[in-house]
Amino acid sequence: MRNMSARGALQLAVIAAFGLLFVLPLWWVSISAFRPEDDIFRYLNPLSLWTFFPNRVTFEHIVTLWTSPFARAIFNSLFVAIATVAGGLVVCTLAAFALAVIEFPGRSLVFTIMIVSFLIPFDAIAVPLYNVMRGFGLQNSYLGLILPGIGNGLTVFLLRQFFLGLPSDLREAGMIDGMGYFQIFWRIYLPLSVPALISAGLIMFIFQWQAYLWPLLIAPATEYKVAAVAIAQFSSAYDVNFGVIFAGAMFVSLIPMVILVAFQQYFTTSVAATGGKE
Amino acid sequence: MSFAIKKLSLVALAGMLAYGASPVFAQTITLNFLTAEKDETVAPVIEGFEKLHPDIDVVHTTVPFDSMNATIEARVGGQDPSIDVFLVDSPRVPAMASRGYLANLNDEREKADAVSNDVAMGIISYKGDIFALPAWTSTQMMFYNKDLLDKAGIAYPGFKAEDRLTYDQVVDEAKKAQAAGAKYGFIPEQIDRYYQLQPLFESIGGGPGLTGEDMLTPDVTNPKWIEAATFYSSLFESGVSPRGVPVDQMSSTFTSGDTAFYIGGPWNFAAFNATEGLHYGVAPVPYFAGGKPVVPTDSWAIAVSPYAAHPAEAKMFAEYFSLDPEGALLSVKNNPIPPVNEIAYKTYIETIAGLDPEIGPAAKEIMTYELANNSVSRPRSIGYVAFEEIMNRAFSDIRNGSAVQATLDQAQQQLTSTLARIQ
Amino acid sequence: MTRNKKLLWALLFLAPAIISVIILRLWPALMALHESLLAPRASTYSFENYTYIFSDPVFRGSLWTTLFYSVIVNPLQIAVALGLALLMNNKLPTTGFWRTLILLPVAIPQSVSAVVWSVGFRPDGLINALLGMFGIGEQRFLTSPEQALACIIIMVSWVGVGYWMTFLIAGLQDIPKSLYEAVTIDGANSWQRFRYVTLPQLRRPLTFVLVADTVANFLVFAPVQILTKGGPQGSTNLIMNEVYTRAFLSGDKGSAAAATVVLVLMVLIIVLLQFRLMSDKGAD
Repeated sequence: MRNMSARGALQLAVIAAFGLLFVLPLWWVSISAFRPEDDIFRYLNPLSLWTFFPNRVTFEHIVTLWTSPFARAIFNSLFVAIATVAGGLVVCTLAAFALAVIEFPGRSLVFTIMIVSFLIPFDAIAVPLYNVMRGFGLQNSYLGLILPGIGNGLTVFLLRQFFLGLPSDLREAGMIDGMGYFQIFWRIYLPLSVPALISAGLIMFIFQWQAYLWPLLIAPATEYKVAAVAIAQFSSAYDVNFGVIFAGAMFVSLIPMVILVAFQQYFTTSVAATGGKE
Repeated sequence: MSFAIKKLSLVALAGMLAYGASPVFAQTITLNFLTAEKDETVAPVIEGFEKLHPDIDVVHTTVPFDSMNATIEARVGGQDPSIDVFLVDSPRVPAMASRGYLANLNDEREKADAVSNDVAMGIISYKGDIFALPAWTSTQMMFYNKDLLDKAGIAYPGFKAEDRLTYDQVVDEAKKAQAAGAKYGFIPEQIDRYYQLQPLFESIGGGPGLTGEDMLTPDVTNPKWIEAATFYSSLFESGVSPRGVPVDQMSSTFTSGDTAFYIGGPWNFAAFNATEGLHYGVAPVPYFAGGKPVVPTDSWAIAVSPYAAHPAEAKMFAEYFSLDPEGALLSVKNNPIPPVNEIAYKTYIETIAGLDPEIGPAAKEIMTYELANNSVSRPRSIGYVAFEEIMNRAFSDIRNGSAVQATLDQAQQQLTSTLARIQ
Repeated sequence: MTRNKKLLWALLFLAPAIISVIILRLWPALMALHESLLAPRASTYSFENYTYIFSDPVFRGSLWTTLFYSVIVNPLQIAVALGLALLMNNKLPTTGFWRTLILLPVAIPQSVSAVVWSVGFRPDGLINALLGMFGIGEQRFLTSPEQALACIIIMVSWVGVGYWMTFLIAGLQDIPKSLYEAVTIDGANSWQRFRYVTLPQLRRPLTFVLVADTVANFLVFAPVQILTKGGPQGSTNLIMNEVYTRAFLSGDKGSAAAATVVLVLMVLIIVLLQFRLMSDKGAD
């Protein structure tokens, strides 16, 4: 801190300004979760201290939220997201490696298929996909929730871009040492790819964490309901319980925050530091 | 809850098998019930039914209101047997029946007729048959903020049918209240939705906007429609009603004490009564001078899936929910809207009457009178859903300042081409 | 290694991904294509749904709106994300904390984000209150055909910028320090360092962000559905909202499927152009 230049201070000020701007709506959501329902929209305009701080505090919404099956829904969301990340990383790194490293006939066709797969709007194919999954008997099951997230064209694309950036000397050296493709993948490429794998994990985690229409169709039973759907259910045709919805949103954003903070250090360790990249 | 019951019956089943008991328990069946309601809303009626039928376990699945259509399209449209019985927004019955999403329930017609009024029976009919049983209905009244009226020196409107104000009177008084400090003068709750606005057009004599034998011919540009839409547009031009406040945040303008007159339904009582310092009264919904009083109505009906795994039991449950006064009453125990069932209604309305010594009796009188005399259903058409969608967009545009005639002309055109694909 | 052996290895590596993509994406998409070729009540294939949607001013309007929106929102998001990524790459103290805050909006269910912004954009809402402090008069925001699309852009950027920034930070950190040191010795200023080291080195992550962001923005739906339903006067009627309205509200599945196919083809063409644009002498 003491070594920071004026320029550094200015840059930090810009970063902080953006950070505050981005977090302001979240702050409003979080404090609204602690307001009585009829105070939530009361201090919008003109601005006052009470716009950003509750002047009457209640824990009623938090209690309502956690006495509903919300804990189960949070567990389901986490479980589905983590299982998707684990399964998806295996499937997608293998595919990306083949597309980046192995020269085989039809490579660009397969790559195009991967690209097309993430251009297809998921909501628009939800109904036929539902029929496919029902054919496998996967309604109201974790598998039905997880599977559509695993073959993720976007993740394959991201990892392929990263693998293409690794120098070809690496695999040539491996070949000379008598390594097969799998060994090159496992012993050379993967260890260099930790930051890219984390980015890939982020894509798949967010895909599942944000998923709404699909979980609603395939797994509406309380045992399998995910958090985004559980939160939406605090609004019905005749009343919307904003306090509880905001409380739910607060917790739903806190969990990824904790995970992100835990992974913080990996974002900053780069391959470049080890000199592994061309 | 249903989970616990399932576990219990499993325990019971295991016990029975061990002691070689009757096979009746082995036939416990699970009935899947889909709604857009919270668990606690339908819990009493499910409990009541399960008490009568210990061999049936009703499992309730709830999906958010906005996703109900997508769910029905995907699951019932996909011939999924895992939905037996579900609630359906009654104006959607013709469209859903025409697509084969609802089982024909015509053999229940006589029993349903005996406990339901003609308006409620009409809306669940398609090509002469009924495809659902009436469950709930709705009606509206005008809430007013006494403090804001006092400040402006305006007399409280009466609650009798003969005290009904005209729309112009209400707007005049609303402007006075605004001059005396109210933020908003007059707000119809679901401010740009057809449900809320149909009464304007019907009251002035412009019709529902659809005509023809099958109600598939748009008629939203006749002079009366233009007149009512111009009135609607003027509410926002003059600032009597707000632009930009979403429907689901609307009731907060009344609880925060900002709104003088507010048209809404009985679902508002809970929040209004819970708001400290809010002094309000109720009056009948206004009408256009020279026209007739019209109030929106209808709500959800209960339908059986044609692909139900247990169609007979599904029908039994629908009957209990709709035709059995006990079931019908339990279905509104944790729900603010009235049951269609006329016997259950008599008990329901007494709880409304008892809400508050002053407001309760007035609300009872208004609701009972409006339901019996001035309720107009939405047009019965297989094109209703598409119609509603296009009209809601048009209303929203008018609310935001688009020219009335041009917007309705455009809607008329769009309706013509969209409905042509449905015929 | 022989050609056949390479193919075999490639298939082995690719099989799980290809199978899941075919069953869970392409097959349902083919069903949509099938549906798009069936006119209402018809049992033989025709292009009637396509001629219908292209004759419908609402659909044509939504195509133009979507293209206009893309031309604005993608460069905007990428520029802000890249700017922030460059700032954060300087490893100033506490940047990790700010980065997490900026990434957070993407973790909230979009339906809730949209409610928050609907409160913000209310004429009597927070943003007008803030603007009022600077003496700026009340804006109409979502109720104005001129401003509503800008409001949607602000909301989706609030969600997306932190996300794309994260990938760019990862890309920046993979650039070897030695390259910067080399050009600094040659007397390069910071613009030249950016132009001749950062940008070329960032090409692959940037291609990813450009393509992925473009696709994501073409498929934006929940914010429109909740904030404006496509209005006022169709000014925010992005194509996914049009698809959803046709499929689930108007019950016109044929034209919804046709609109989906048009959307996918349009995005595919744009993405292929982007690949060409970003490729380095055909290396990609």
